[in-house]
Amino acid sequence: MKPWIYLAGFVGAAAIGHAAVVLGTPYLITGVVMNRMSQHGQVVNRFQFGSRTTEASRQVVRPSPDLVYSSCVFDLSKGPVRVVSKPWGDYMSISVFQANGDNIYAVNDREAPRGVDFVLAKPGQGVASGAAVILSPSDRGIILDRRLAPTAERFAIADQVRRSDLCAAIP
Amino acid sequence: MRQALALTALILLGLVVGGLSALWAINANLTGTQNFGGWIGSRLVGSPAADPYTRAIVARTGLLALTRKEAVYFTRATDEKGRALSDKCTYRLDGGPLPARWWSVTLYAADNYLAVNGDNAHSFDATRASRTPDARWSVMVGRDHADKGPWMSSRNSGRFTISLRLYNPEAVVLDHPQDVAFPTLRTLSCGGAGA
Repeated sequence: MKPWIYLAGFVGAAAIGHAAVVLGTPYLITGVVMNRMSQHGQVVNRFQFGSRTTEASRQVVRPSPDLVYSSCVFDLSKGPVRVVSKPWGDYMSISVFQANGDNIYAVNDREAPRGVDFVLAKPGQGVASGAAVILSPSDRGIILDRRLAPTAERFAIADQVRRSDLCAAIP
Repeated sequence: MRQALALTALILLGLVVGGLSALWAINANLTGTQNFGGWIGSRLVGSPAADPYTRAIVARTGLLALTRKEAVYFTRATDEKGRALSDKCTYRLDGGPLPARWWSVTLYAADNYLAVNGDNAHSFDATRASRTPDARWSVMVGRDHADKGPWMSSRNSGRFTISLRLYNPEAVVLDHPQDVAFPTLRTLSCGGAGA
């Protein structure tokens, strides 16, 4: 075997290994977080209301202790999901992340002062006319509801408000 | 046979070397970041134009970060002389009004989570700063709460970092971040000695 074949084999494999790690890392880490948030796939298409962020919060790196987080791991493989979030008297946003962690959509309280209501679907999925539709390139991903609540008192109020939020598969 | 085995070994070695070099690149944060007096930001975080390295870095250190329209993030890992921030030192963070609807500074331990110290003093935000008439603010950063002023505890944080979040940033943050009056950090003492 000629020496250049060894060199080509090594360089080619190194390039593939490098690309696989760089491209695969976002999917891997987002997948791990989705698995934790959904309690190993048991809680999907439903909001989970996290407790106040403290030093014990270990689901996602660099959480803000000033924000109240609610999360919903979505799965569009069997159909669209409706997302409803009640208004909040301070900063709030709903953001949608696809399977590699890319933020594909975000809306805040200034843009939606009366609350958020949209349908998350895959391209080609049928959705009732009139609904605001957000298309997700991936079947699975994460919806995150952030509400500004820097104190325990504000957290308690935000916690009550967000209990009316909805993340649910459309029958 | 021996040649095929050698080639297989080289291919496996190449995969390992390539994978390790990718991990090094992700950890070394080699993508196009900008430095504003020690505050490091990237125009590409949360952007559809983010390159694969930026995506991987964000996944590791800031997963679920928002788009720049919604929030802009800066991280500080060094003091005014370029030395790594350490829980053995005491610092003072000074700032004024920031061009955003809401902002916060938050201290994270070396593992990128809130430091486990029981102090419940991990952050300072605009709602607290706005209580002063001129919106100037000052936060002590150290292991002990030496006075009654604002304080972020660095106890048990090792080589920590500070995140600056600007939510609903004004245009200057997006278009001319070099014109933003970022908070300044000054080292007051280290291990009992003045800096």
